[in-house]
Amino acid sequence: MRILVASVALMVAGCAAQTAAITAGSSQVELRQMQTREYETLDKRGTLRSVVATLQDLGFVIDKADYELATISATKLQNYEIRMTVTVRQREGDRLAVRANARFNEKPIEDPQSYQDFFTALDKAMFLTLHKVD
Amino acid sequence: MLAVLLGSCATMPDDAFRLSESALEMREIQTRSYSDVSDVEILSASSAVLQDLGYAIDEVEKELGVLSASKRADAKDAAEIAGSIALDVADCLLTLFIGCERDSFDATKDVQDIKMTLVVLPVLGKERTYSVRLTMQRVVWARDGTIYDQETVNDAAVYQAFFDKLSKSVFLEKEGV
Repeated sequence: MRILVASVALMVAGCAAQTAAITAGSSQVELRQMQTREYETLDKRGTLRSVVATLQDLGFVIDKADYELATISATKLQNYEIRMTVTVRQREGDRLAVRANARFNEKPIEDPQSYQDFFTALDKAMFLTLHKVD
Repeated sequence: MLAVLLGSCATMPDDAFRLSESALEMREIQTRSYSDVSDVEILSASSAVLQDLGYAIDEVEKELGVLSASKRADAKDAAEIAGSIALDVADCLLTLFIGCERDSFDATKDVQDIKMTLVVLPVLGKERTYSVRLTMQRVVWARDGTIYDQETVNDAAVYQAFFDKLSKSVFLEKEGV
């Protein structure tokens, strides 16, 4: 029993240390940069549809979708839970910025690779949208 | 308790945001096209099927063609759960009648929450033709209130069963039934 308690305590401590390490490294600016990608288009509808299609491809179910506010929230369940929100905003120079933020179980995802992967998948859908290919 | 701790501490798989090799195949399984319909007709027909199956509509966004719905259903033994959403979706009334006998339940599993999203989009270059893509997931709850299982539904039969119902619903919608 004592071993069990000790190991549980270790695990909890391990989690806390991990979280602290993650948040310590990234500044707000870095976070926004890794979570944002810009596309040279003003097609808000097409962009949002591409986001929805990409989320479906990645196994997400859409929880909320709002065209006016250009916000999509979705959840993926695969022995874990990832919850993600994607927003689309107009930027200067006729561009749209897509920002995604996600959490894995209880922790915010702050590693650049995850967002890189998401945008790689979104790029493919956006290419089809921007070139009006089905 | 340990499982919960491990779960919250688990690291994310590297491929969580990568398109899997089966992504294209899954998309085909999850998608059907319907011709000679309007966007309102196909969305109405879809929500009618969801109502037939006992789902509550959680979210509708016509501009983006998104419709999300959920329901809580009985979760029985593992073998049944695997095929059961098919059964559940295909014949939820039947499940409702049989599923209510609590003594037939596995002791560890109680209920499952099923959630699905339908996305209706116009098919480019084709008048009055819409594609419908369905994605589903579920959480199976153990009797003590912890999560027993959570997963995306990948069983082609489940999607087939839903689209069979939707085809009928589209027909009924047109006939004004």
